[in-house]
Amino acid sequence: MTFESLLQKKEFILLDGAMGTLIQKSGAKYDHCPETLNITQPDLITSFHKAYIEAGADIVYANTFGANAYKLSDSGYSVEEIISAGVANARKACEGTNALAALDIGPIGMLLEPAGSLRFEEAYEYFKQQILAGSDADLIVLETMTDLYELKAAVLAAKENSDKPILATMTFERSGRTFTGVSPAAAALTLSGLGVNALGVNCSLGPDELEPVISEMTRYTDLPLIVKANAGLPDPNSNEYDILPDRFASCVRALLPYGVKFVGGCCGTNPDYIIELCKMLKEEHYQPCPKSADTAVCSAATVVEVDCPRIVGERINPTGKKLFKQALVDNNIDYILTQALSQVSGGAEILDVNVGHPEIDEKQMMTRVLKAIQSVCDAPLQIDSTKPEVLEAGLRCYNGKPIVNSVNGEEKSLSSVLPLVKKYGASVVGLTLDEGGIPKTADGRFAIAEKIVDRAVSLGIDRRDVYIDCLTLTVSAEQDACRETLGALHRVKTELGCKTCLGVSNISFGLPNRELLNSTFLTMAMEEGLDLPIINPNLEVMTGAVRAYRVLSGHDKNSRDYIECYNDFSSAPKAQPQGAMSLEDAVYSGLKNEGAQAAQKLLENTDPMVIVNEMLIPALDRVGEDFEKNKIFLPQLIQSANTAQECFDVIKKHLSKSGESSVSKGKIILATVKGDIHDIGKNIVKVLLDNYGYTVVDLGKDVDPQLVVDTAVRQNITMIGLSALMTTTLKSMEETIRLIRQTPELQNPDGSSRCKVFVGGAVLTYDYAMKIGADYYCRDAKESVDAAKDVLG
Amino acid sequence: MITLDRLNRSEAARYLGGAKVEMNDAMRALIDECEAQLLDTARPKYLYRVVDLPDETLIVGEDIKRHLSGCAKAVLLCATLGAEVDRLLRVTQVRDMARAVVLDSLASVAVEQVCNKADELIAAQNPEYHMTFRFSPGYGDYPIELQKEFLRRLDAPRKIGLSANESYLLIPSKSVTAIAGLSTSPVDVKKRGCATCNLRKTCRYRKNGEHCDI
Repeated sequence: MTFESLLQKKEFILLDGAMGTLIQKSGAKYDHCPETLNITQPDLITSFHKAYIEAGADIVYANTFGANAYKLSDSGYSVEEIISAGVANARKACEGTNALAALDIGPIGMLLEPAGSLRFEEAYEYFKQQILAGSDADLIVLETMTDLYELKAAVLAAKENSDKPILATMTFERSGRTFTGVSPAAAALTLSGLGVNALGVNCSLGPDELEPVISEMTRYTDLPLIVKANAGLPDPNSNEYDILPDRFASCVRALLPYGVKFVGGCCGTNPDYIIELCKMLKEEHYQPCPKSADTAVCSAATVVEVDCPRIVGERINPTGKKLFKQALVDNNIDYILTQALSQVSGGAEILDVNVGHPEIDEKQMMTRVLKAIQSVCDAPLQIDSTKPEVLEAGLRCYNGKPIVNSVNGEEKSLSSVLPLVKKYGASVVGLTLDEGGIPKTADGRFAIAEKIVDRAVSLGIDRRDVYIDCLTLTVSAEQDACRETLGALHRVKTELGCKTCLGVSNISFGLPNRELLNSTFLTMAMEEGLDLPIINPNLEVMTGAVRAYRVLSGHDKNSRDYIECYNDFSSAPKAQPQGAMSLEDAVYSGLKNEGAQAAQKLLENTDPMVIVNEMLIPALDRVGEDFEKNKIFLPQLIQSANTAQECFDVIKKHLSKSGESSVSKGKIILATVKGDIHDIGKNIVKVLLDNYGYTVVDLGKDVDPQLVVDTAVRQNITMIGLSALMTTTLKSMEETIRLIRQTPELQNPDGSSRCKVFVGGAVLTYDYAMKIGADYYCRDAKESVDAAKDVLG
Repeated sequence: MITLDRLNRSEAARYLGGAKVEMNDAMRALIDECEAQLLDTARPKYLYRVVDLPDETLIVGEDIKRHLSGCAKAVLLCATLGAEVDRLLRVTQVRDMARAVVLDSLASVAVEQVCNKADELIAAQNPEYHMTFRFSPGYGDYPIELQKEFLRRLDAPRKIGLSANESYLLIPSKSVTAIAGLSTSPVDVKKRGCATCNLRKTCRYRKNGEHCDI
């Protein structure tokens, strides 16, 4: 029997019940991991599998749930030993029956980035090892997952290292989300895209509480669903579960109409539950349940269904933006994160991410930026690059179902980009241009659109996951082109059954009052069927046009979203704050706007460097002293620093206009050391250093020593700040300093070190800092500034 | 289930600069907003398990032996505010650092309050015992490496989504693991104090002649 023939032969597939519950009941003794019983008591484990097969199970899960290199590290056995023994036990029980043996894989036991510190690529390696070790199994089960990112690593590892069928299930809380905030819809969309054979729920709650989760999943997938629930909830004292076998079966029965094809039991169940399920299923018929939602994209937490125009934010893109380019070169990820969050506040529902710049490694930067944005922002992302290898790196590390921007009608593009879209289960933007450039006519662009959609469909991509971009040309250069774009858009939308997108702003290039043209063009395009306008969401008139359109076209039911956005709207101009404040007072009180105004005013008749050195810095010093003397709280110190930052920005702008030199006092690297993920202290230091006029290259948290050294060498930086919170991560700090000292490029001709290292962190002492070779021990952010002054002036 | 309805603000203020700093209206308003946001975001969860003593795996080092002396059993405990609080802290650090440090302090206070409530519930369920104060891996000479064992025995990753990384940092970060002794005779419930605290050399409160509440 193979998995495929089992699927064809049977309406329902009966899975087994709990393994852990039976082990616990048997009283079998083991050290650390119950998986070691595969070797110490193989007959016992085999007898459990047999009991489930006799109860009617078609598939039994080998006792390999926690058999990964992390959990087995102190067990005395290797992953290969435990897994091959576990699969052999299951196989033995299946002998002479039609039952199949599944390699069972649970979570690694460490949390992945961004919440934890395990890298996606490392998680992949853990799973790969398990999958290779389980090559004798009939199929692969990935279960009890709470993090969609971890599950994605497991699915990719399974797909790339075996050709076995995959069942993937996650465990949900009563809130309807997993511990890490994954929604059932996002799980269904992402896993369907990645090409698993069935998906669903295991563990979680009792089957009586799973209707909300299952009904949400089924809206977003065509795949058969899996329900392998707990026997209710455990009693905290007796550890007995509260749902008995017959009620368990009748609760599961109620879930079958949602397209459930695989059923079994998790914690608290035993063969009696499987017997009851088996009886119940004989009276039922499988009811396939095609997805009812429109096409959608998602992050792990947020699903955006594209059933009306959805706003794609265009601002994460260096084209034509000097500051953005500088941020990329300086590795200033915070700048990009600020852009992401402000677009979402403005109304963006999806964010385009483009980090192409000749001076950087785009592939590396794309991975870094995507991971960073996903750590603070739930909006689904659109991965934007002209290079297939950058797209693939982005697709791999993205958590959810993204959009790829873009493919076009050129053969080279179709054959390199579309297979990636299929493999990673993404959507794709299709540009209507090819080897011959952009066709002048609507018909020409339609023909290319048709070619792209046909090719995508032939690869198994849903046509609704293709967003055709009919390309906006500048109306001042070619006035008729606007009509052609809109004509093509209309035909594509009505004849091809796909979706559409359009970058809007290009229309007005070279003309005055661009916003007026942009918003009018946007409204015209939405009326022709535009699904994804790519715009600057921080321009009120643009997002407003989309919101108004949704009301007028009947998508925004009862104008709910519109009212929520504009309830407090007033057309009166905002009152200007009265009464000027001195720069010093504004900084001391931490009032940003007042500070910026004061700086602006001073620039009219004061030398910029006088403002910096004789007003800003002394004001900051006064705040710093008050903080040291316990006169103000830390947040007040930070607010003052942020106000100074506003003032600096005003002065920098003034200087760049008048062509004078920069006010930077020198570059400083900051990093929270490898293994440490608490970086709030480092971030406070960063704010202060920024505001004293230093340029901070922030490498983030959990930073490899080599990255610190490479950055110092590449950017010729001689001042390095390191932070560590825990005694366990002080070792990494020591290692980083050692590497800095040993690197020849960071040494003077006489072999002494060119770098000054300052260190800080809760458990650090002066003595320890000196012992590990630091130059400065800084108790707080203020002392870091003192160190910087000492070194860089 | 533990729910928090208010947070110990004076303790949070101490984390933010010390009890002697004078609070102005703007700071008070900021703390108000942050408290509301944190209470809204936190999903406090805890787990515990009673173990028999002696237990060779769990009792390592002199400090814990002293702490549990005379106890026949001990309670393994863990508690967390959940992953959403970490996320809130991450996002706020990008948007507004001043706000982030206030949230961070309030979150530290909150998880301590969750532990105190859990203590009360556990004590109520074990009325025949006297319970010592909590003692956590990493205090004094009690090895932080035991974090993994605590989490494994409590099945914490699966049950409440609490795990540790390879440096034994708890994730979500606003979380606690601890052990408390259960004794049939009255015990000294005094808090652990500065003697076993790893921060005693650098502590800002001690410098100011204050101490924290732990």
